[in-house]
Amino acid sequence: MRAIFTEEQEMLRSTASRIADSVAVTTPADLVRLDRNKAWAALADAGLLGMRTRDEDGTPLASGVEVMLVAQSLSGALAPTPFVGAVLAADLLARAGAPEAWITDITEARARYAILLAPELDRLADAGALKGAICIDADGATHGLAFGADRRVARIDLAGMAALDGVDMTRPLGAMSAGAAAEPVGEPLSDADLTQWTSLALTLACADIVGVLGEGLRRVVEYSKTRIQYGVPIGSFQAVQHMCAEMLVETQAAASVTNYAAWAVDALDPEAGLLAARGAKAYCAPVAQKVGEMLMQAYGGIGQTWEHEAHMRTRRAMFDRKIFGDEAHQLLAIAELRMGRN
Amino acid sequence: MDYRENDDETAFRLRVREWLGKNAPKDWRAHTKTEADHGALLRRWQRTLFEGGFVGLSWPVEYGGHGLTATYEAILNDELGRADTPRISFHAYLGRAIFTYGTEEQKRRFLPPMLNGDIQWCQGFSEPGAGSDLAGLRTHAELKGDRWVINGQKLWTSGAQHADWCVALVRTDKDAAKHKGISCLLTSAKAPGITIRPIKISDGAPETCEMFFDDVEVPADQMIGRPGEGWRIAMTVLAFERGPADVGLIATFQTALRRIEGIAAERGLMNDPESRKAIARIYVIGEALRLNVMEQLSQRVAGKPPGPDGSVARLLLTRAEQAIRSLELEISGAAAFTDADDTSFTSYLRSRTISIFGGTSEIQKNILANQVLGMPR
Repeated sequence: MRAIFTEEQEMLRSTASRIADSVAVTTPADLVRLDRNKAWAALADAGLLGMRTRDEDGTPLASGVEVMLVAQSLSGALAPTPFVGAVLAADLLARAGAPEAWITDITEARARYAILLAPELDRLADAGALKGAICIDADGATHGLAFGADRRVARIDLAGMAALDGVDMTRPLGAMSAGAAAEPVGEPLSDADLTQWTSLALTLACADIVGVLGEGLRRVVEYSKTRIQYGVPIGSFQAVQHMCAEMLVETQAAASVTNYAAWAVDALDPEAGLLAARGAKAYCAPVAQKVGEMLMQAYGGIGQTWEHEAHMRTRRAMFDRKIFGDEAHQLLAIAELRMGRN
Repeated sequence: MDYRENDDETAFRLRVREWLGKNAPKDWRAHTKTEADHGALLRRWQRTLFEGGFVGLSWPVEYGGHGLTATYEAILNDELGRADTPRISFHAYLGRAIFTYGTEEQKRRFLPPMLNGDIQWCQGFSEPGAGSDLAGLRTHAELKGDRWVINGQKLWTSGAQHADWCVALVRTDKDAAKHKGISCLLTSAKAPGITIRPIKISDGAPETCEMFFDDVEVPADQMIGRPGEGWRIAMTVLAFERGPADVGLIATFQTALRRIEGIAAERGLMNDPESRKAIARIYVIGEALRLNVMEQLSQRVAGKPPGPDGSVARLLLTRAEQAIRSLELEISGAAAFTDADDTSFTSYLRSRTISIFGGTSEIQKNILANQVLGMPR
């Protein structure tokens, strides 16, 4: 048993952090300034978009753990890059047996595939009922993926998609209207493939939360050492210290469940992997709100302003909380996995 | 990264399980009505475990241990919890003080009988005036010839009524700064001048004690470390006490969860979405604890000693244990309040002590803020 990262994984983390720093956002104005196409090309050049493509044996090039580490680094920097959506799309296409060229289009940044969710955001959109479906990580997306009644992945041309201002400013959404044509992809998905893909999706939503909040905590702690009130740094007040300690406990626990879920995606049998992923999301989802609120509180007045990053972190984490199902959704699913149907 | 046990670890787990099937005490709760019975049972059980080769797994062979990694301790604790055996070695973490700071002679004298159960220990740290502010302790020792003479009072010395020896923090230099004037002495708990009075906690059990020292003489060679080194020793001990893998509460959590699911089924709550969510939520909280502890354990096996970040797991443990006892109370319904055989309310009360002993939750947060996050004092 070795529940810690390998040296290679630690190296990947520092590489990913360097790339994330180059596409970091700290205020809404950065979203206008940053060249997003250049940012995307940087991710493609580093090979990060091809992490879930398959080798000759059909094994993913990188495990869930590596993908999680990259997702965390990017979300920590509030990077406005649709990384999670692109990786999930590549993984889903590979499982469906899509043409190789589609996948290399993604990894070489020639095309952008995104995931379509049902209007409630808790599951993949039904390819037969696309009206009102929401495209996540929609920035620059050319194609969307949904799931058909015949268990086949469907590809949808997003030319007619309407841009949608969701709460998360760093990752634009799209709204589907009626009439979009769905094109079936490859072969019907096996239960195992669909389950593993769902586990990966849940895990990456958690990774995004952990990255956003973990880096948010690091920054607010630094701020508390420099912000002076009553003649002393506010970080010397026990009330502020206990808030930060509580955030540390929650973000570390969230990281622990996410690390395990990320490992379980590929290492455990699909059902066990799904239980780990649902457990992770059930833990991380309420933490997203709790720590998001605490971050804004610990910053005080400055943390309520538009120009500050605090609300951008809260927005992103709370959107992650909803996608692929919030805690209520996961807890009922966990009850079913553990205790059977009611 | 790999959460799976390797072949050796799995083989060990199966060996423990098989051995427990044959040797674990049966119906021990029914046979231990008095505190004295309970103390005697723990002593016998530790001896049985020792003879089975399961005590001191991660301790060096020369002091009576087995020289294995901390992973094996965790597997053992897991199986002990699963088999619902009496909880032993409550104070084995005290041995870390002797192991880390003791002389070779002290280690050879005290560690083997600690592991085999011949000597039971208690922890003489807190005092009436030194709870959270442990460094404010006033029990003092004066060197007279080749003996230290202790006077003062200790409080919350759990298990002192069954103990043979005590690790006591005493002030040996009244002029030194608060943290610098403390030393660590090992004293017989039965030495002349020591009076022990049990204290009942809220659930009615005489779980802990107060301990009075009146001119208690301790040979000078029973000091651990140098004079003035007591605070550093205490911090080492507390770091181990705070590690949930050492105190072995995680496995009992999973057993308790299964029991609660059983009660929920009996009371027809398995179809109630709110109850289902509440039970699943406790499962998730338990997983967060288990997985955080596995990471800590892996770091320890990789050579990183326990430090202040152990307070994270300690707070998760506190939360998990208190949440599951609240749920048990909720799921048990009115019977918890009216049925004399229903133990959920006493379990609930007992769970409230966890956010106090070994450092309150507020002290744990101070440690995290100051020592892990580096926030100014």
